[in-house]
Amino acid sequence: MTVDASHNANSDIGRLLGELKILVVEDSETMRSLLIALLQTMGIRHISCAKDGQSGLRLFAEAQPDLVITDGIMAPMSGYAMTRAIRELREPDGSPAKLADVPILMLSGHGERQKVEQARDDGVTDYIVKPVTPDLLYARVIAAISTPIHIVETPTYRGPSPRRRLVAHSAFDLSNDEE
Amino acid sequence: MSNPSNSHIPQDRNSSVTVPARFVRLPSIAEQKLGTAYVAPVRLDPRALEQMQQTIKSLSSEYAVKLASQIRELLHMINDVCHPAGELRGKFYDSIHDMRGLAGTFGHPIVGQFANSLCRYMEDASHLNATILRFHVEAMRDAIEDKMPDKRLADETLRSLERLILNAKNENFVVGRESLSG
Repeated sequence: MTVDASHNANSDIGRLLGELKILVVEDSETMRSLLIALLQTMGIRHISCAKDGQSGLRLFAEAQPDLVITDGIMAPMSGYAMTRAIRELREPDGSPAKLADVPILMLSGHGERQKVEQARDDGVTDYIVKPVTPDLLYARVIAAISTPIHIVETPTYRGPSPRRRLVAHSAFDLSNDEE
Repeated sequence: MSNPSNSHIPQDRNSSVTVPARFVRLPSIAEQKLGTAYVAPVRLDPRALEQMQQTIKSLSSEYAVKLASQIRELLHMINDVCHPAGELRGKFYDSIHDMRGLAGTFGHPIVGQFANSLCRYMEDASHLNATILRFHVEAMRDAIEDKMPDKRLADETLRSLERLILNAKNENFVVGRESLSG
């Protein structure tokens, strides 16, 4: 990439991040505050927050975000259940809701293969294992908004392909958890 | 903008029956907002990353105080958490789970690893062993008090804790029960 192209790409990204609407769903108050602070530092101005999947789902309809960042295990509704509910959203005529295809980034303390596969099967787009670092969060947010959205639709499922290998991105080595 | 194509995909992951599947490609969020001329950056903006690091640094001292306080509180909760009639198991787990997710971000990765080990133990065990809990929390305390400056020592401690958990699982090891009943 030339210097000029790089400059243009960076200014495009700056403008894009300024316009982006993100919904953060996280039950830990400290983690929520940290994510908001980091996203704001990236230049994201429109951030909505919820502390579980149920309130996240309510806010989703209202905020119509471009990207959802959610924790996995929360009560009374988990990030997994919220993801399924978002993917199942329908227009009044029964057709899939446009909003249902939103990229969903799960940020979880669980790096075990079983949890990652559960997230994939429920329709999660990308998966980060906590702890989050600036490089990791920034890279995954940029990837989520820069990557074309590939959807699979069957009579019983609509969302990212449940047959793909979903990588659990981590700042640390996960080799012990991958066994 | 969608580009649907037909193929086949199992309707149920455990079923051999296949049904038609439609594949749809939608433009990225960036393309939707900026148009098709958008080019994803090859490298992340180092200035933005530096500012994000500064954000974490500015929150770190506040987190360090909170972490030390949480660890002190956990040490006081252990006996209750391991007692069959104890009521603090959920609160204890939430606190450890919080550390698993946050400690590494704020420069305490070893605390995060001990917290991860303890969370996984608590997720699997119906009856909790006070010795396992205490050793984990004391290891976290040592880590934040810089008594574990060597990563090798931390790794060895972690392996010892994992062996202790394995013993407890395999042999229904009940170290610490006596001290609880006494």
